[in-house]
Amino acid sequence: MIDLPPEAWEALSLSLRVSVVATLVSLPLALWVAHLLARGRFRGRGLLDAVVHLPLVLPPVVTGYALLLLFSRGGPLGAVLEPLGLGVAFRWTGAVIAAAIMAFPLVVRAIRLAIEAVDPKLEEAAATLGASPLRIWRTVTLPMIAPGILAGVTIGFAKAFGEFGATITFVASIPGETRTLPSAIYAFLQVPGAEAPLRGLVGVAVAVAILAVLVSNWLAPRVAARIAGR
Amino acid sequence: MASRIRFDLTRRAMLAGGLGASVLSVGQLRADTGLTVFAAASLKAALDEVASTWTGPPVALSYAGSGTLARQAALGAPVDVVLLAARDWMDWLQAQGVVASAPVSVAGNRLVFAGPSGAEPMPLTGDGIRARLGPAGRFAMGDPLSVPAGRYGQQALETLGLWSALRPQAILAENVRAALAYVARGDVPLGLVYKSDGIGSGVSEVAAIPATAHQPIVYPGAVLRGAGPDAPAFLAHVQASGEVFAHHGFGA
Repeated sequence: MIDLPPEAWEALSLSLRVSVVATLVSLPLALWVAHLLARGRFRGRGLLDAVVHLPLVLPPVVTGYALLLLFSRGGPLGAVLEPLGLGVAFRWTGAVIAAAIMAFPLVVRAIRLAIEAVDPKLEEAAATLGASPLRIWRTVTLPMIAPGILAGVTIGFAKAFGEFGATITFVASIPGETRTLPSAIYAFLQVPGAEAPLRGLVGVAVAVAILAVLVSNWLAPRVAARIAGR
Repeated sequence: MASRIRFDLTRRAMLAGGLGASVLSVGQLRADTGLTVFAAASLKAALDEVASTWTGPPVALSYAGSGTLARQAALGAPVDVVLLAARDWMDWLQAQGVVASAPVSVAGNRLVFAGPSGAEPMPLTGDGIRARLGPAGRFAMGDPLSVPAGRYGQQALETLGLWSALRPQAILAENVRAALAYVARGDVPLGLVYKSDGIGSGVSEVAAIPATAHQPIVYPGAVLRGAGPDAPAFLAHVQASGEVFAHHGFGA
């Protein structure tokens, strides 16, 4: 189909793995945090909001550097994890953490907006009919915020897939391990006469981005229809 | 109606003319007031010193990776002199038709294994390196795909018969200074870096790589097309500053 060097396929499959895992890992936590921010009334809510948004407003290289300081062997978390063989610095799991953290604020924002749009009276009505909180969440809240979750997952995946600054700062650019698609594009930019693989990689990046939007657009009305059918 | 349109057109033409004039004057300003030099990031310490002894018009030094600089220069960046870390990028620039005269070599370099500050010398053997790395330890180097220092480093380790054994333990950085920083911060116990990088960076040279183990490391410099009249003199000044470069660890 497209004539790409093996490095390109390696980078693509790694990027897909990293961004899918990052999205899946951050989703449950994002749901919880979005709920806290939308509904919670507690001290420190403003602080939580600020911390969640931090990766969105900081330069990505700062986030990457902070992660490196935390998780390298001399860092507070790295000193605990590295001896256990659970180290993440310079490993693909570190790329997942970087991508998940960068995507997290976007996922939380999308879900939070959806939760804030839910009329609490509907949930109260379910409660007066004797439904348990878990059942209310599953049968009333969840269907109404599903489009928000879908939007969050889409934007989160896109952000994770394109993440570059924090990733290359935190986990370097090791082929097959941490050289994601954006890192590979950056690496090929440093190779004289590598226009062909460069164009191939850029083409792949554009194709994945368009595909993600198409899939999301295809899913959105179906999710909405399912909810309306309930 | 017609006069209104004509008025608009006139105004637009005047606007465009004004913009054009100001762009021209900015270009003029640059040519009048100084030189812009693109230089490989690894040259920074030495070249800052070289530039401080230059008595001609002021020089603006912009440091980045050779590939980034070469691409920007080829795409029309307003630059008078380029000093790159690799022959292949200079060859590429020449092929783009933007180089005004034959490139000259301004400095050389060597590769070394660097350890944390105060680290003991290490025998340059597989066992010596493994002993230094520990069971799960890794070492940092430039990415051989994209970083000249990484390319020379892979060549050297291949010549020494160590590459296939060490490759899985290599953390490949996007530039050689990043590899150096990993060592200086203690993230990794060893880094394969330029000898010049080890000077004043909080690391210690623990093993020198024989210069015969890889292609000679040279820093080519050239004046680009459309450069200011002082550009060749600045390049000559850089070329004549051998002892400054030697003092910073640059030397064949």
